[in-house]
Amino acid sequence: MTAILLIASALFCAGVFGLLTQKHAIGVMIAIEVMINAANLIFVGLGQHKGAAVGQSFALFTIAIAVAEVVVGLAIVLLLYRSRGDVQVDEAREMRQ
Amino acid sequence: MNMAMFLQDPGLWLIGLVTVAFAMLAVTVKDLVHAVLWLGMALLGTAALFAKFDASFLAAIQVLLYVGGVVVLLIFGVMLTRNHEHLAAFRQTRRPVRAAVVAVALFVALVHAILNTPGLNDAPAGKSVSLQDLGLALLGPYAFAFEVLSLLLLAAMVGAVVLARKRDPGQPSAKKLIRHRNLGRQVVEGLAATDEVGQ
Amino acid sequence: MSPLLMAALATLAIPAGMTLLFGVVPMLRRTGKPAAILSILAATTVLGIAGWLFATWLGNPTESLQIATYWLTMGGQPLGQVGVHLDGISVSMLLVVATVAWCVQLFSLGYLSDEPPNGLGRYFTYQSLFLFSMNLLVLAPDLMQLFIGWELVGATSYLLIGFWYPKPAAAKAAIKAFVVTKFADSGLILGLMVLAVASGGFAWDAPITPATAEIVAGLLFVAVMGKSAQFPLHIWLPDAMQGPTPVSALLHAATMVAAGVYLIVRADPIFSAAVHVREFMTYLGAFTALFAAIIATVQTDIKKVLAYSTCSQLGYMISGLGAGSLLGGYFHLTTHAFFKALLFLAAGAVIHAVHSNEFTDMGGLFKKLKFVAIAFIFGSLSLAGVPGLAGFYSKDLILEAVHESGNHFALFALLLTAGLTAFYMTRTVVKTFLGQMSHSAEHAHGPGPSMTLPLLVLLVPTIALGWAAGPFATLFGKPYEFHMGLVGYTAIALGLGGIALGYLVYGLGALAFLPRLFKPVATLANSSVMDELWQSVYEIGGQTPSRAAAWTDRYIVDGLMNFIGWLTIVLGQQLRKLQTGDVQDYLYAVFGAAALLALFGGWR
Repeated sequence: MTAILLIASALFCAGVFGLLTQKHAIGVMIAIEVMINAANLIFVGLGQHKGAAVGQSFALFTIAIAVAEVVVGLAIVLLLYRSRGDVQVDEAREMRQ
Repeated sequence: MNMAMFLQDPGLWLIGLVTVAFAMLAVTVKDLVHAVLWLGMALLGTAALFAKFDASFLAAIQVLLYVGGVVVLLIFGVMLTRNHEHLAAFRQTRRPVRAAVVAVALFVALVHAILNTPGLNDAPAGKSVSLQDLGLALLGPYAFAFEVLSLLLLAAMVGAVVLARKRDPGQPSAKKLIRHRNLGRQVVEGLAATDEVGQ
Repeated sequence: MSPLLMAALATLAIPAGMTLLFGVVPMLRRTGKPAAILSILAATTVLGIAGWLFATWLGNPTESLQIATYWLTMGGQPLGQVGVHLDGISVSMLLVVATVAWCVQLFSLGYLSDEPPNGLGRYFTYQSLFLFSMNLLVLAPDLMQLFIGWELVGATSYLLIGFWYPKPAAAKAAIKAFVVTKFADSGLILGLMVLAVASGGFAWDAPITPATAEIVAGLLFVAVMGKSAQFPLHIWLPDAMQGPTPVSALLHAATMVAAGVYLIVRADPIFSAAVHVREFMTYLGAFTALFAAIIATVQTDIKKVLAYSTCSQLGYMISGLGAGSLLGGYFHLTTHAFFKALLFLAAGAVIHAVHSNEFTDMGGLFKKLKFVAIAFIFGSLSLAGVPGLAGFYSKDLILEAVHESGNHFALFALLLTAGLTAFYMTRTVVKTFLGQMSHSAEHAHGPGPSMTLPLLVLLVPTIALGWAAGPFATLFGKPYEFHMGLVGYTAIALGLGGIALGYLVYGLGALAFLPRLFKPVATLANSSVMDELWQSVYEIGGQTPSRAAAWTDRYIVDGLMNFIGWLTIVLGQQLRKLQTGDVQDYLYAVFGAAALLALFGGWR
């Protein structure tokens, strides 16, 4: 079980690294997917280990929510692209002012 | 992490490390299309892990939804948003060293926390969760969450359509939106100016 | 309720009603003369009531009536009383006030005949207010009501000194009088506080220990020093002569300035327990008497002479009270009220005739103003202590008392004052009524009947009140027996000597070196030494702490506030830099914090 947690941690940190370095909005979304996968891995792995259905149930919910997030996220990326001409996240900082 | 742990379940480690490697490629390769494909590989690796956990339904869902759905959607996104100058969407990264330091620190911290948490290596419960158990759970105790989830998907679909569709001439254009943004900026600047007067 | 009390309440209600009437109905006030006549009628009523009350009390001197309601409840226990208290002292004082006020109001009608109707109405509004306030003070059942009346007469004094407020000197004098007496009144407030804390009330005969009595009496005496113009708080009185002369007669000679003496008489149970304060009073009164008499000898303004003379005579009273002669101090208050009012009103008639206060514009007026001159001379003789006249008897009582108390300094100073008084009054009479007639004196015109009648009325007690000392003493419940001792004869000799010397120097022009001898005194007296002294006292005592407080406020308190404000702004600007608007910067914070938590939070 430690093994599952360690692998999931590695996966999650790979996602974190991606999240912090990406300039492209879709790159950011890729990183987020990786992190969600790490979480799912723990849900399923621990659920099976303990023999509880809750792990897989929540993994299923997470997958559905992730899909919804990707759909909305891509729509936002498209909108961003139309309004700004590019999708570099470090350029989109109007909130600062 | 020692040899004993590795030998306890070499298959798990193997698939796991490969998945992590795919994920790392997915967040580092230059070409975004390649990155998406590497992501697909990593997702497949996760599916393999699910299968290894005896959660074949989840593995199937993972392949269907993620690899079949999300990856394809992301590729669409890349295609639709790439710059005209470049045929392929090359991506730039920023501050990789700093990000690596934070990521590694987080990893070390997590490993530290995991290794110091007692009771993680208890014996497995012995019974694995069958598809029937999962179905009963989803429509039993989690039925409400299940139904809300369907609503969420509907909302996401509608929202995506509303956000992404092209404007009609009568609708507020992107230019108008920018103007609104500038209006907001003017307001904020005006406030800052009064702030300076206040000082 | 006894008709006597009802009548006493009427002496408050009638002038108060007049004031309100004039205040609320400006139409009436602006008519001038009708308002004045109304006010005089009110004063006449008050005089009648006061006379009736006095007559009643002469027949039954020890009676004491009171109607009062409690107020100022503190912790379920009422502190103060408001109402009227009638006994021998208050009734006789009421008569003095009513008589002088009536004379002055009547006199004012003639004196202020040149005043526009509006101003005349205003003047009589103030006069009515003063009569009410003074009666409130005199009839007070306890110190609290006396304090209220005390402050009200102070306010009226301010209004009347500044009656000709377009004149800068008058406005300044009014403010000066107000500020100086208010400064002194802080003593009265503090004294009342101490008394209330010590005895749970403001009663005249509050049961307090001798030590507390010293404190209370000392504090009350500070207020007395201000109101009764004792050195060094006398500085406002000469300036107060900027007011109309009848005002000077009423407020600044006869009644208001005597309120301090009246307070001591009323609060005798407190003062008689305060031995040290009384001793101080004896010294200070004697010193003021001498000091003011010396200054009076060099004044060239007839009103200033009378003002310093008032100062001097009040010193007499204070000294007498300090020596323990309640009757002496109070009797002198009464006689002084009449003869000094007479002197002031006669001086007013002279000023009215020559349109000037200065001796240089007078001289030889005896031929023109025969009756005024006779009145003035009788007043002077009474003041100088010529035997047979009122002033002689009261002054003798004080001198005897001081002599008995064994205070040689005070006795010496008071005897010297008696001589000086006779000297400067002779000088005044000579310079005003005898000798060479000045240019403006040749055009002098005699006073009308409204001015002569008050003089006539006041002339009676000026001459004859001394003979009534016996009945007067019964009002105090004290025996009075006239007897002449060595002190009395000395005083007579000094008084007559002073008159002779004065006539010799100023009437016959002999001993010309003497006026020259007074030159430095005159220079000093007419300079503003005292004012400057007070100025520096104020600057050192008042402004230094104020400046320190201002500095503290400006640099410490405000500085702290500004520093906090500055810190907030600077910190805010620094914090603002943290907000880059870059999502990934925030993510660094999130994951960094998570890593730190996982490393250090909870696992040991």
